[in-house]
Amino acid sequence: MATELMGFEIGTLSAWLVWILPFAAAMIMPGIGKLSQNATKFIAVGFALMSAISAATMIPVALEAHELHHQIMWIEAIGLKAGVLADPLSIIMANVVAWISFLIMIYSTGYMKGDKDITRFWFWMMFFIGSMQLIVLSDNLLQVFFGWEGVGLASYALISFWYRDKKKDHVGTEGRTVLGMLDYYAPTHAGMKAFIMTKVGDVMMIAGMLLIFLFAGTFGFKELMGNTDWATAMAAQGLLVPAFVLLFGGAMGKSAQFPLNEWLLEAMTGPTAVSALIHAATMVKAGVFLVARIGPLVFALGAAGILADQFFEIVAWVGAITALLLATQGMVNPEIKKVLAYSTGSQIGYMMMALGVAGLSHQYVDGYTAGFFHLISHAMFKASLFMAAGSLLHIVGSRFMTDMGGLRKHMKKTYAFMWAAGLGLMGAPFITTGFWSKDAIFAAVYESGNEWALPLFAIAVLTAIITAFYTTRMIGLVFFGKKSKHIEKMEEEGHPIHEASVSMWVPYGILAVLTIGIGIIGLSAEEGLHHTFEYYLKNSFGIYSSHAAADESSILPEFLQGLNPVALGASLVAFATGIGLGYIFYIGRWVDPVKFVNSNIFFYAIHKLFLNRWYLNAIVYWCFVTTPLWLARGVSRYFEKTAIDYGMNDGVQKAASWGAKVIQGTQTGVSQSYLFVFGAGLLFVVLILLM
Amino acid sequence: MLEITSTPLVIIGILGTVGILLPIISIARKEQGSNTFYAIIAFAALIVSMGYVGYQFLEENVSPSALFAEDVVVDDAFGGFFAIAMLIVALFTTVGSFNYMRKHNSPAVYYSLILLATIGMVLVAYSTDLVMLFVAWELMSIPTYILVGFRKKNPSSNEAALKYFLFGALSSAIIVYGISLAYGLTGSTNIGEVIQGYSTLDPSMLPLALLSVGLFIAGFGFKMGLVPFHQWLPDTYEGAPAPITALLAAATKKAGFAATIRIVILGMVVLHLDWTLALGIIAVMTMTIGNIAAIMQKNISRMLAYSSIAHAGYILIGLAVAPHSSLGLQGSLYQIMNHAVMKGAAFIAIAGIVTTLAVTHIDKLKGLGRRMPVTALGLVIALFALAGVPPLSGFWSKLMLFGSALDAGTALWWAPWLAIAGVLNSALSLAYYGWLTRKMYFEGETEKRVIEPKSVMAIMIISTIFLVGFGVYPEPLIKFVELATPVLSLGSMP
Repeated sequence: MATELMGFEIGTLSAWLVWILPFAAAMIMPGIGKLSQNATKFIAVGFALMSAISAATMIPVALEAHELHHQIMWIEAIGLKAGVLADPLSIIMANVVAWISFLIMIYSTGYMKGDKDITRFWFWMMFFIGSMQLIVLSDNLLQVFFGWEGVGLASYALISFWYRDKKKDHVGTEGRTVLGMLDYYAPTHAGMKAFIMTKVGDVMMIAGMLLIFLFAGTFGFKELMGNTDWATAMAAQGLLVPAFVLLFGGAMGKSAQFPLNEWLLEAMTGPTAVSALIHAATMVKAGVFLVARIGPLVFALGAAGILADQFFEIVAWVGAITALLLATQGMVNPEIKKVLAYSTGSQIGYMMMALGVAGLSHQYVDGYTAGFFHLISHAMFKASLFMAAGSLLHIVGSRFMTDMGGLRKHMKKTYAFMWAAGLGLMGAPFITTGFWSKDAIFAAVYESGNEWALPLFAIAVLTAIITAFYTTRMIGLVFFGKKSKHIEKMEEEGHPIHEASVSMWVPYGILAVLTIGIGIIGLSAEEGLHHTFEYYLKNSFGIYSSHAAADESSILPEFLQGLNPVALGASLVAFATGIGLGYIFYIGRWVDPVKFVNSNIFFYAIHKLFLNRWYLNAIVYWCFVTTPLWLARGVSRYFEKTAIDYGMNDGVQKAASWGAKVIQGTQTGVSQSYLFVFGAGLLFVVLILLM
Repeated sequence: MLEITSTPLVIIGILGTVGILLPIISIARKEQGSNTFYAIIAFAALIVSMGYVGYQFLEENVSPSALFAEDVVVDDAFGGFFAIAMLIVALFTTVGSFNYMRKHNSPAVYYSLILLATIGMVLVAYSTDLVMLFVAWELMSIPTYILVGFRKKNPSSNEAALKYFLFGALSSAIIVYGISLAYGLTGSTNIGEVIQGYSTLDPSMLPLALLSVGLFIAGFGFKMGLVPFHQWLPDTYEGAPAPITALLAAATKKAGFAATIRIVILGMVVLHLDWTLALGIIAVMTMTIGNIAAIMQKNISRMLAYSSIAHAGYILIGLAVAPHSSLGLQGSLYQIMNHAVMKGAAFIAIAGIVTTLAVTHIDKLKGLGRRMPVTALGLVIALFALAGVPPLSGFWSKLMLFGSALDAGTALWWAPWLAIAGVLNSALSLAYYGWLTRKMYFEGETEKRVIEPKSVMAIMIISTIFLVGFGVYPEPLIKFVELATPVLSLGSMP
């Protein structure tokens, strides 16, 4: 690229601007807010758009499978450099983040209308986007970590945005307890919970980073790939896999993967626009991105003989467990946003699984593309679903699906878009992006040729069935059946149900249409991505993929050539089973789900297990909140108040006053005694010197 | 030969001329005159002197810290460092006295005596000859005896002056005795030659040399307020006019350290004495007794007097470990400069409080934060700096001192205990600094703001800028300290 501006290549300049612009917007936001609260939304949307356009200007670089790397001196004294690395991976990610964020910002102008603290909201939203883009475009781990912490901080501030803890901003059912732990959370509690739980991952991540730095002497991704002596040295001491797993610990925290998954549900206390941002563009995708960043490095090391397969096994299994665990809970939860949150965690699990099995197979690029393609398609339909759910909350004034029902005639657009995006989540065959990306994951898992391939494949298919079921359930509960008492009451009070405002339905409309639109050309889109990543992995990491001869005897029709028939069949069956069951219970309403669950002890127990979050949340609270608090009280009562307060604090004070009295006693005020002490002192000094 | 433009001579010229002229002018004008007139002249003389010291540094006319010279004084960085510290305190005292002297007679004599005492202090730091040092010592001491007793009708001022004079005379006698022993043993009064003479001394004469060093420690220790030569100090500080207390605590004390570094430390190096233990014991005793006694004091001057004793103990840590850690003397000099500003500012704040509110009892200081906000804030900053709270300047010097003690730990097994004692004592000292702060800011509710003396406010602002500024960005001051610190290596021996 020859075009230059201010000594930068255009693409390089864009790579800096993409993350600097949102930060700049955040920095000026308080000042703008002082001048005019009304102007803040224009600044926010404007800067988000500029950032997105900057990201778009980099697309040609990605298409040419080109790579831009630009560094500046950061801390001269220790030779630390800051830089941007715009390669196909980060450019595609940056565009996904930037454009979805931009749509969410537009949505927010409607959703947050009239909020008194709007300036604070915009500040943190822009800070959030800037931090995420910093993660995406950084060329070294340390800089990533800055963005990482920025994301954590912004999520804390936004989850507890409504810090006055009003009843309507809580999540969970009031008064409900699980194992004696309240399952009902205030925004401030939820923000703190997210912050602390992700912090557990962050600590692991920084440990992994420093461990690598200790051996490699650099944080830079390019430098780490350039000379792999460090990896040999680490592998010799058995530290290589632990270091990577520690890094993955950071990703587990941010992406809410088992066992650090419990914060994600309470994160629903934030404004819905925040939830959309967290789930579609920023926060949880950061973890997947990190794995996509370091995964090829680990695989390339493996190809060079420095094996770290355990890393990929852990990634795949953590992903699989999370996918199933959270999907099961999504089936039973009564709150619409929580269902979506469970679904996010579960879908992220899919991506992790794909990125994990990629490293276990010989065709790294297959799983890699599948995972990343799913990230993109999930970003679109989940942002759309969240924003649509936000509209429902906004209009119905309740977070419970049981307070909705029969809305399809009143909110036609939202109804249509939710179906479109929901079909994406379910993986409706051939027309949605979700189908193609999920199918790619199935194929990658099935073809990985690994000992874990079959169990992982089974989990993936089971999860897909459940996903289709709970999505149908959500749509059925909200839009079908009779109106709930809550809505009837609202209508009596003169608040009829109406469609959301334009600034709200347009953004999720666009994304819902895209889910279907790109879905129709999904296979070629995937092939394009596959192609790009193939070049990328080859050029940057030296990972070659072998092209197996096209299977001539394929039973599939021509337009599906190249797909794995088993995976395809499984996708179709899973979708049909899930939506079918959902239809029976929630759309056709032929069977009453409540009666069904209570009909026998087995279903009842399963339902309760899922509703109580497998008891994991309660166990986390018992182990890490209640017990430490109990210990702290004990220490306070039996050690601090006795040994420290009475023993030390009072003791020191008494000793000091006693000493002071003694010294005061020598200070007689009589000169003769002073002279005596002076003389004695002189003698003392001379004696010590003579010793 | 010294050039006529060398710093000590110019300072003698400026301050001496003005110091002598002030009373003559007042006699010529046949009136007590306005206090401000004399104050401004004295102030100008001090500013010019300080400007000259600074100019000499900037022009690099100052020789590196030499310690020895053939002349009786030497224009070196060590002397210049002390001169700046002392001139700062003299300026504080002069400005702080503006208000105080409104109510007292003979301002011309008062300011003249301050200038003369300042010459003495500065010359002590520049001296390289024992006789010169003694003359300078007396030039410093005698005016301060008079200044302490300046409130003629006040019995506590008289008692203070008498005790101060009594011990001053005793210590002078002890110093002279020490000098005479040194002269008798080596046949010279030049410090360089004395030290050289000591190094080649006949072993049978060694006890006498030791005695002379012991006498110097005791003699200078009186001014430094080292335990057990400290007992006059609280009585004197309490009775003296408050601005003069600043001069005593922040400046004359430093002259004692200058003289000690010039003579005792080097003398003991050549005598191969394990003097570190003696000074170490004195250091710990001094800071502990000073701090513990300060806790129970009800009179704020007395409390700060004890705190000043404690600080002599901290500074002594650096001297004690000097031969084993290059940080030792640096830390001492650093702390000396900081202490000059911190203690000077604290006592000037008290002078302001005394002249405005006429209270010294700590319980009467309730709500001072509302009554005299600027003075109270300046005082609190100075107190926290004294306690070594970061990011104030006092933190860095204490860090360096305690660091030097740890650094010396490889050679002296007990040296780290000096650092531990220092840290514990700093914590202990926060008990009374914090208590004072609580009285000023968190007690009392009904107080109204009173008019604060402008001169005191000016000093508070300057000291706060110094303490916070060099606390946040200590680099220049550390560079200056490094420049001024003499190197204790055998190479520097004559």
